[in-house]
Formats: sequence, C-alpha cells, structure tokens
Amino acid sequence: MTNPATPKTFTLVITGAPYSSQAPQSALHFARAALEQGHSIDRVFLYGDGVHLASSLATPPSDETNWSQVWAEFLEHHGIPGVACIASALRRGLVDEKEQARYELASENLRSPFTIAGLGEWVEGQTRSFRTLYFHAGD
Amino acid sequence: MTAFHTLHILNKTPDHPRFSECLGTLGTDDALILTENGVLALATEINLKTSRIYALTPDVEARGMAGTTRNSILVDYPEMVDLTLQAQRVISW
Amino acid sequence: METLVIIDQPPYGSWTGREALDMAFALAAFDQTASLLFSGAGVNWLRNRQITDAIGQKSVEKNLSAAPVFGISAILADASACRRYGLGPQDLPDGVVLTEMDAKLLARYSHTVFAG
Repeated sequence: MTNPATPKTFTLVITGAPYSSQAPQSALHFARAALEQGHSIDRVFLYGDGVHLASSLATPPSDETNWSQVWAEFLEHHGIPGVACIASALRRGLVDEKEQARYELASENLRSPFTIAGLGEWVEGQTRSFRTLYFHAGD
Repeated sequence: MTAFHTLHILNKTPDHPRFSECLGTLGTDDALILTENGVLALATEINLKTSRIYALTPDVEARGMAGTTRNSILVDYPEMVDLTLQAQRVISW
Repeated sequence: METLVIIDQPPYGSWTGREALDMAFALAAFDQTASLLFSGAGVNWLRNRQITDAIGQKSVEKNLSAAPVFGISAILADASACRRYGLGPQDLPDGVVLTEMDAKLLARYSHTVFAG
C-alpha cells in the first residue's frame, strides 16, 4: 500500500473535448487537488477530441467558463507542460505556427502554453509518472 | 483505509456499454469510484459487484443525487487523489 | 511493465479505435510492451473482407495486420463479444487470441487504457 502522503507524479490524459464532455473540468479539479496535496504533474496530454481544449479560438458565451483559457492559465501558473497529440490535432484543425507554415494554412490557433507533439510525449509521461490517469468523454 | 488492487474510475451511465464492461472486470479486491454520469448508477438497483464503492461528491450533488447514494462512500477530489495512489493500478473507463 | 490497449468501439463510425491502435503502435515504437484487446462492439474490427471504398475510409484490416510488424505483443479478442457478434474462431485474422475479458486478464497488465 502506498502512503498517499509521499509526493507522487501524475500524467493526465484528456480525451474528452470541452463543451462536448465534462472531461476537461474533471481533469482540472483533479489536477488542482493533486497539487494542493503536494503531488506533481509531469504533463497533461491531449488526445483525440481532447485536443480541442488547446484551441485559442473557442469563445463560449460570457456566462460560461472558457475551459481552454482556464486550463492554459493553470498550466502557465504551475509550469506544467500541456501537449496536444499532433495527429489528433491536425485532423481536427488545431495547428501551431510551424504546422501552419508546413501545410500553408490560413491561420494558427494553438493557445499558449500548449504545444503540439507526437505520442512519444504520452509514452514518456506514462513511463515517468507514478500514475497516468485518463479523462474520457462520458457519453 | 484498506488496500485494494485496482481502482476503477467509471464516468458512464449504466446505459453505456462500457459500464457493463467495467463491472464485468471488477475483481474481489477492487474498488469502484463513480464520477460524472457514473453517479447515476446510484439511482438504480444495479448490482455494483463490489462493496467498495466511492462516488465523487461534486458530481453526486450536481445531479441531485445527494439523497440517493446507496451504500457508496462520498469522496471529494483530494480523497479521490488519495484513492488513485492507494490502488496498485487505476483504470479509467 | 505492460500496457493493454482496449478497443471497444467498432471501426468507421468513430475514430477512437484508430487512435487506440496508434497508441499501441507508439508504445511499441518506444520499446514499451503493448497488447491489444478487442472487446464489446470493438470485435467488429476483426471481420474479414471489409470493403470500405464507398464510405471514403481506409480499411482498418490493413492497419491491424501491421500490428505484429510494429511489435505489438498480442492481439486478444473477448470471446463472449465475438459470440455476440457472430464471429467464430475461424472468422478471426491469424494471430488473434480468444480470451475472456475479466479481472484475471486485466490483472496481468500494469496499465489498461482506452483512447477515448
């Protein structure tokens, strides 16, 4: 049995999109609780529909939480890397400046501090973390 | 708290195919935590196959289920973090 | 440390299975042991003769047949799900092992993951 008081490292994988699922919210509440207990988060990896969380263009009504913005601020504040899977991202129209140039696209829309990289980032996170937890869509 | 083998995190309603898949793989030393839509199982009489059932309070309360928690133990996010560390493994369904 | 990647959604109607396969391939590419388990409606990945031209998608049969080449350790299929979808042992691609998806099976893996 693990002593929960000993600091541990988590990797969080979000596969549910904001506004289609509760996944980004649940992941954020979990992440905050983990940090408050002295644990650390190695990285947050966005996969599948979860990459929509990294959009800089999502504009919910003003009385709804902007989950992309809140997540970006959280990552920035705690210096946690947020990585969107490149294959998932490109399929779904999430691109950074580099991919915009490579594919000659009209614009980039990746919200800082999120970055785009391959599944190797997920593998590394899982290898380095005591726990890798997934936040999937609930439907 | 007692040690257990696998913590199953279940965020699907009982009508979702993955709900039955999850229950079908619960071992005798496993624990189940119901989150998001998963807490709606507490409104049903479905046999949850384990005596160690946790439910995430914010999701229970949001869905008007505070009075319908059956034999589950209500936990908040910090307690959920602890549960994920006490288990030998965690599966997110 | 071995990871079991579960595909429980059928092909073509969603991308989740393809993205699960990519996860398994990525693990293998980075020298992590990975196996695949087809369960529930996901066993429909295993049918022969999937003719997909008319729906504008690539057949997943080819993707899956690359699994041993990529270093996937085992391809498992839940026997009861196969029965439910009318897939007999003779219908399955070579190398697919019928098993029962239960606590004993999952206990063999340090990580069990879904793509979504």
